[in-house]
Amino acid sequence: MVNRKLVKFLSLRYKILAAVLIVLAGGLVLLPKYEKHEGISPEELLSNAISPERYITTDELADRLINQDPTLLLIDVRDENSYKKYSLPNAINIPLNKILEEDSKPYLYQDEYDVVLFSNDNFHSDQAWILCNRLGYENLNVLKGGVNTWFNTIINPKIPAENMASNEFDLYSFRKAASMYFGVAYAEKVSKKSIVVKKASGAKTTTPKKVIPKKKKKKMPIEGGC
Amino acid sequence: MGPLIPNELISFEWSSIIAIIIGICFGFILEASGFSSSRKLAGVFYGYDFAVLKVFFTAAIVSLIGLLYMDYLGYVDMSSLYVHPTYLWGAIIGGAIMGIGFVAGGFCPGTSLSAVAIGKIDAIFNVLGIMVGIFIFSELYPLFEPIYNGYFQGNLTLIDSLGVNPYWFVFILTVGAIVIFAASDMIRKRVKKVFY
Repeated sequence: MVNRKLVKFLSLRYKILAAVLIVLAGGLVLLPKYEKHEGISPEELLSNAISPERYITTDELADRLINQDPTLLLIDVRDENSYKKYSLPNAINIPLNKILEEDSKPYLYQDEYDVVLFSNDNFHSDQAWILCNRLGYENLNVLKGGVNTWFNTIINPKIPAENMASNEFDLYSFRKAASMYFGVAYAEKVSKKSIVVKKASGAKTTTPKKVIPKKKKKKMPIEGGC
Repeated sequence: MGPLIPNELISFEWSSIIAIIIGICFGFILEASGFSSSRKLAGVFYGYDFAVLKVFFTAAIVSLIGLLYMDYLGYVDMSSLYVHPTYLWGAIIGGAIMGIGFVAGGFCPGTSLSAVAIGKIDAIFNVLGIMVGIFIFSELYPLFEPIYNGYFQGNLTLIDSLGVNPYWFVFILTVGAIVIFAASDMIRKRVKKVFY
């Protein structure tokens, strides 16, 4: 037998379907809104953050700078004053609080250069790296230890003790050579150079000293005459 | 998670196989719901059958609502879906030509092929006409090229170009669609019935 209630219900089926559609569409309007996540997924960000792959050592950086690697782009994330006082050669200054601004995007969001971020330690540069990595920027590296380690290893390398392994001495000689490339003068080199400097400065400033060799010249023929 | 192919949950090589399966299902359902009849399709323009309007409008709204829910829940990333590029005047002129062909022939390109599959002679002539049209267009392509490739607006959606909240837009569209369905039903009741 035909169920009358069912028939009555089914005669309204289009109206019910229309109501379902409207309720579903209305539900979309009433859904609580949330800020959409941009960039890479949180899981990926975490695994990237744990991984030490982003670090570049000061020795590696020095080697690439000395070989004039054209793909290197150094970015100093310290504030402007520290940047003006001292920074690595050819570094660009993008302070940490300006890292997400539109002007700094072309430097960070590109795939032509290997960007090396650095600060005094690697703390602020890590923060900058996390911010950029979350947005999906690639080719970003962090200088391990930052400017402090740069200074302690490259600019002012520690002389290894007598009983250390030979590779320590190799490393030291590399660092010493690198520091001379970056403009550090060493005592043994300086002492030789200083003579040159004195001669040069003497020639410039002392016109009266020219008189002295003339006197010597006078003395010389006399001595020879004897 | 989704879309499945751009996120490589299904490898790219499967896309044409999936397309063929979806196409077969689409053709089967078109035929099963009587869309291979030119009288039913032309009924939209004469006012005795609005099935085409209802079916396609409902399909669009259901998929729109479903996608927005899935986007909200994080199952589908709407931003990585394909959006068809807009060539403004190409779309307007092409749409007008397509509409004239629709009224005159009683088929849209998809239904004409499904009608050919069940052996309708008018559909065979319709498909031949489409082929001739394609041939003429290809031969005169240099002439049409500025319209075909001009007036490019980018991969726009209505939400982008109107700059409105997508959720409100979908809600208003849904309500509008149901009002249109009700109105079309009223028109259908007043128009003389056609048996086919």
